[in-house]
Amino acid sequence: MEPREKRRARSPGFSDAITSRLGGETITLCYQCGTCASSCPVARITERFNPREVIRLSLLGEKDEVLSADAIWLCCSCYNCQERCPQKVEIADVIYALRNIAFREGHIPDIYSEFASAILNNGRIATVSKFVEKKRPALGLPPLQPTGLDDVRKILSATGYEKLRQEEEDA
Amino acid sequence: MDSAKVGIFLSESGTELSKILDLDAITSYAKNIPGVVLVERESEFWRGKGLQTISEAVKNRKVNRVVVADTLPKLSEVKIVQAAQDAGLNPYLVEFLDLKHHCAWPHRETPSEATEKAKAMLLAATERAKLLEPLEKLEFPALKSVLVIGGGIAGIQTAIDLADLGFEVNLVEKEPFLGGLAARAGRFFPTDDCAICVQSPASDVKTITHTSRKCIYRSGFTEIPNLNVLTNSEVVSVDGVPGKYSVTIEKRPRYVNESKCVSCDLCTAVCPVEVPDDYNAKLDTRKAIYMNTPNVHPPVYVIDESACKFHDCARCVEVCPTDAIELDQKSEKTTLNVGSIIVATGFQEYDSSVIKEYHYDDYPDVITNLELARMIDGFGPTTGVIIRPSNHKPAKKVVMIQCVGSRDKRWNEYCSGICCMISLKHATLIKQAYPETDVTICYIDMRTTGREHEYYYERAREMGIKFVKGRPTEVTRDPETDKLIVDVEDALLKRFLELDADLVVLAPAMVPAEGTKELAEMLGLELDEDGFFKEYNAKLRPTETKLRGIYLCGGATFPKDAPTTSLHAHSAAMKATKFLKTGKIIKDQRTAVIDEEYCGDCEFCPVTCPYGAISLEPTTEDHFVARVSELLCEGCGICVGTCPLNAIELRHSRPNQMLAQMKGLMAVNGTSKPLVLAMCCSECGHTAVDSSGMAMMQYPANVRVMKVPCTGILQVHQFLDAFKAGAQGVMVVGCKSDGCHYEVGSQKAEKKVELTRTLLKEYGIEPERLEMFNMVYIEGDKFVEAAQLMTQRVEELGPLRIPREG
Repeated sequence: MEPREKRRARSPGFSDAITSRLGGETITLCYQCGTCASSCPVARITERFNPREVIRLSLLGEKDEVLSADAIWLCCSCYNCQERCPQKVEIADVIYALRNIAFREGHIPDIYSEFASAILNNGRIATVSKFVEKKRPALGLPPLQPTGLDDVRKILSATGYEKLRQEEEDA
Repeated sequence: MDSAKVGIFLSESGTELSKILDLDAITSYAKNIPGVVLVERESEFWRGKGLQTISEAVKNRKVNRVVVADTLPKLSEVKIVQAAQDAGLNPYLVEFLDLKHHCAWPHRETPSEATEKAKAMLLAATERAKLLEPLEKLEFPALKSVLVIGGGIAGIQTAIDLADLGFEVNLVEKEPFLGGLAARAGRFFPTDDCAICVQSPASDVKTITHTSRKCIYRSGFTEIPNLNVLTNSEVVSVDGVPGKYSVTIEKRPRYVNESKCVSCDLCTAVCPVEVPDDYNAKLDTRKAIYMNTPNVHPPVYVIDESACKFHDCARCVEVCPTDAIELDQKSEKTTLNVGSIIVATGFQEYDSSVIKEYHYDDYPDVITNLELARMIDGFGPTTGVIIRPSNHKPAKKVVMIQCVGSRDKRWNEYCSGICCMISLKHATLIKQAYPETDVTICYIDMRTTGREHEYYYERAREMGIKFVKGRPTEVTRDPETDKLIVDVEDALLKRFLELDADLVVLAPAMVPAEGTKELAEMLGLELDEDGFFKEYNAKLRPTETKLRGIYLCGGATFPKDAPTTSLHAHSAAMKATKFLKTGKIIKDQRTAVIDEEYCGDCEFCPVTCPYGAISLEPTTEDHFVARVSELLCEGCGICVGTCPLNAIELRHSRPNQMLAQMKGLMAVNGTSKPLVLAMCCSECGHTAVDSSGMAMMQYPANVRVMKVPCTGILQVHQFLDAFKAGAQGVMVVGCKSDGCHYEVGSQKAEKKVELTRTLLKEYGIEPERLEMFNMVYIEGDKFVEAAQLMTQRVEELGPLRIPREG
């Protein structure tokens, strides 16, 4: 067991860092009623994610625990919690804010990086092989449309994604 | 009027003052002020020899204006003014200044500067005193009668108090029966006994002990001769002024004559119409002619208009042995003249159906606390058995959900404060009667503050009631078993529970009673952001409103438990007594006066007056002028500050009186620093200056303090006048923006300051020479900080250059 000293909040300024981010503004309103957790379809099936716990840990300044765990990446963005929160905490948006902070701090699950590269390179999250594509008519699906890769890249560049990626690569 | 002969009475406060101020120099300066005929010095003037000196100077007609430089004038004022009045001087011709706390002490480190400032302060007070006018006391009639709106336990208790004290009391209840929420609640915490219990009235001749308390129906309070109870009645209009209101009451037809009915029950027995009983949460039915329960008051049946077939049936008329049933009764309007009005309209449960996830509307077995109270009540529809409304079978598993629509930013943000205790009361009552029933309470925070309340919580745990910390997300129903399922996270264990329940009881927020908004409009009262009646001051005057003569009690101001409601009811009765007991209202004449010739009927002042004291009245020339009700005017002067045509003046703070004072304060500098004028409101602003002086905090002597009734009185030209008179900087010091003693004065002043700053810019004057500060009494340090800041600022800005006019 860790000595008591060490178990004190590691990053007391963490909640300020969250409230100053888009989407994270409302986190301090939480009074831990658990409505979000009981509304959450993900929390129902795995102990790895509980929105109430993520908020609690964040407010207590447990930055590393929140950012390095996979909890914040498991939110399915159904917004059920946000809909029912009696304190109007924008829980799903808080999770997005946390993901943004995590990314900045170098905590991003590989799968998300792969998705991102795929979009940049192919305009799609997943590459569709010729083999799969050929099956589409048989399934009654229309042929794949071109992704307009140039436009996708323009959008990504305008939203600042390119810059972030560059920074990440430099790091 | 004789020319002003001013007597200056200079207090030495023992020997301390003279250690800082050169009192001899001040005395000889004062003697040379034109109009001053007498300067007297004593240790203090508010008692003994000093007080006698003032009396004699007045009595011998040596002086007709008195200026007193005493220590703590806010305390000594009363005695000195009284002595002057006894000696034959109009009390409004006495002017005060505080040389100790406003001059000597805060400038003790610069004694020569303090002496010069003292001269300026004396000059200012003298110049103002010369212009003061004698004022009279005003008297208005106050009828010794009261209207109490709402016949719940708050209204009943306040009505009994007032009737016992001899006032004519009219108690108006809109329902056909008295008792309000209490009657439906059945039992109350913390005593666990009947909710409809009240103290016996003094007129009850059988009441031999003061400990007596009785049920409403047998208390006999309705028989107090000077208490008039009107049920099934509503207030439809209110006219008049404090002390003399004219109120119109509409009494809806009951169709049963109250003086004939003997409550024999023959009518209900023959009545063929049966409808769901709203009073009993529709758990059973009642007839079209009915009583809520057998113990109601008045014990007279009422006919439900929407259900009765009237003359098409009339079987009740046939059987009634006393001919009490009158199917042709019509609404009746009566007018009551009362001196005071007490609002006791209470609160009600919030409509739980808006919280869709709990399915209050869809599932009959989801009920509210009040509906559960009807089940628990032995007089109720189930005679005390806890059932599932869907099948009327006993409920074995009960889950309660707290904070339904309260502490919820989507519906009502506040905590209703009593629901935790209501649920604990219900849970323990159920357990007591049916120990095998499984009761779970889902809560966010258990709030059991108050006497005996924590004990309730403890007892509930002892009895085996389960508690889950977690707010359920949803109530669902298993279509096969018809059981309800409450989805909740046990937040302590981080575990998801699906609690099955026969009965789910919601603890809804408590919200203002229906019709609160309309009544507030009728009475001219304000509501708070949650829709409850707003009390005059939450800390000191919880049962008063900003309108004299109108009081509040019970749940009308916020949900309350029974003990607090009783306190409130007695408090409101006391306040109304204080207001009416002499039969007249005495007011001083420091009110606003309107120069009708200049009034341009612009409607600014009637809209701005926080007390509704100004109305526009037509004159002969098809023109409207503003008229001030001297009864309603509180003397803040906010109208003066609002009038664009300078057509309003406040007696005792007229522009010439204020200007003379201002010029006096600026006439002598004596410091090396530029002069700064602090215009302080007489409430928090001026007392903050007191407190800085009392604590001997130091600020430069170039800062001069001028008292105004409320900063709301200040006009743009007065700020400019201050600069013209020699001020290099002007501070406006008022109460906190939301804590103004006159509601909106500070806010108005703030706007005026902003506007003047724009104007100053136009004139080429630095706008930062004028600034508003808000503080309360205890913030003397804040005043000192502001005084230092303004001094430093104007020093840095350099001398003020006033552009030539035109």
